[in-house]
Amino acid sequence: MLKKALLTLVALSVLCGSAWAETKIVFAVDATWPPMEFVNSQKEIVGFAIDFLKAAGKEAGFTPVFKNTSWDGIFAGLASGKYDAISSSVSITEARKKAMDFSAPYFTVQQALIVNKDSSVRSLADLKGKKVGGQIGTTGYFAIKAAEGLTPKSYDEIGLAMEDLNVGRISAVVCDDPVAANYALIKYKDTLKIAAVIKTGEVENYGFAVKKGNSKVLDLLNKGIAAVKAKGIDLELKKKWIGQ
Amino acid sequence: MSDLEKKIDIGDGAAIPDPKDRGLFSAWWIALIGTISLLVFLPMFKPDPYGKVLLFIPDGILITFEVTILSISLALVIGLVTGLGRISTNRFFNLTASLYVEVVRGIPLLVQLFYIYFALGRFVLVPDLVAAVIAMSFCYGAYMGEVFRAGIKSIDFGQTEASLSLGFNQRQTMTYVILPQAWRTILPPVGNEFIALLKDTSLVSILAVSDILRRGREYASESFNYFETYTMIALVYLLITLILSKLISNMEHRLSYYERR
Repeated sequence: MLKKALLTLVALSVLCGSAWAETKIVFAVDATWPPMEFVNSQKEIVGFAIDFLKAAGKEAGFTPVFKNTSWDGIFAGLASGKYDAISSSVSITEARKKAMDFSAPYFTVQQALIVNKDSSVRSLADLKGKKVGGQIGTTGYFAIKAAEGLTPKSYDEIGLAMEDLNVGRISAVVCDDPVAANYALIKYKDTLKIAAVIKTGEVENYGFAVKKGNSKVLDLLNKGIAAVKAKGIDLELKKKWIGQ
Repeated sequence: MSDLEKKIDIGDGAAIPDPKDRGLFSAWWIALIGTISLLVFLPMFKPDPYGKVLLFIPDGILITFEVTILSISLALVIGLVTGLGRISTNRFFNLTASLYVEVVRGIPLLVQLFYIYFALGRFVLVPDLVAAVIAMSFCYGAYMGEVFRAGIKSIDFGQTEASLSLGFNQRQTMTYVILPQAWRTILPPVGNEFIALLKDTSLVSILAVSDILRRGREYASESFNYFETYTMIALVYLLITLILSKLISNMEHRLSYYERR
């Protein structure tokens, strides 16, 4: 009798355990966007957004699983259900909102213009007739395309654009300011600099993207984001990954 | 089998329309009519996004052709030199050519592209299009070299002996006797390499060269119409290669006059 009761208890605890086990949410990450998300020397995906989601998961009761995905197909993969969400510094734009749903904003960015250290360029207007690079399908690249008189050049990864700027194939790169700072102030600090911040008129926020109508994941995410912000964890992470 | 009937096996699997098959129900005709009707009807019935994609990529088509034609011209020159090197009795020339072929064939084209563009970019700055052409012709020069070598070797040694005994020297024998005959066997596989190269130029889109594929990717990344965009991209490539493969098949047909007698 005791044995049976024990067994039932064990079975129950196992069942409850699995029910209690936190839901897994698979996030697609294009881990080429330091310091927001990138692969470190231990081949782990790390960064501000990764820590943010881990903290949010702790608060809202889900385990984030990160799947390194190339940026180019990241939205197509979301639409076809290859993962539950995208955590890849996706700026919330009207065009994207039509194709997917976004969580509450978790980070605010501006577009920065990066040039060679000896360049006298101060704005996009100074770059008439020049080649300017950005990552394909990013708001930075859209800003280049919207500017008149320059030749936009799209790259698969922002690092490749930075390298092309470094060797002098292109005259400038436009990307989100935390990433720009990472490249211009750390990786290429001897050759590149941030020339200006591009005013686009509207505030640009990162959000986690989910497939249209996936409110289950979206609610969990928003709950986590709210908790992380309320506790001030995001400020700590900002200090850790971005500085000041 | 006489010398004139010798042919090089086409090894890269590119389907060539059978020159003798003139019927309307050949695979080639079905593919061509299908491709053209899709390319016409899809944009007609759904101009957004199919028509928009088509309007977005024409400059990409130009770039693709530019890279293809420049690369194949360079690759032909490199290939001829390499092919001659591979059959040369000069130890040094022979070894250099063989080494080149071995090295190039052992490295994936994608890696070569990255290497020439980004790795060498630190030392020599070449514009993107030039880097793409250099990488493509460097790679295809090796393949082409093998085609030339096989083509030259397919000419019976008796021809060389006859030519030498008539008082031609080695170079004259090659230019006046061997190469003019080898051309006939070399041209069809060169045509195939041309098509293969055109398809492989899609790889240069990783170098931020605005070819057909990159233009398509740019469109898709902004509109999220992945299915429609890549459908059109595939159809455009298919249309180009179908036309080219027909041209090559016709050329092969003409060159095979000795077999048709």
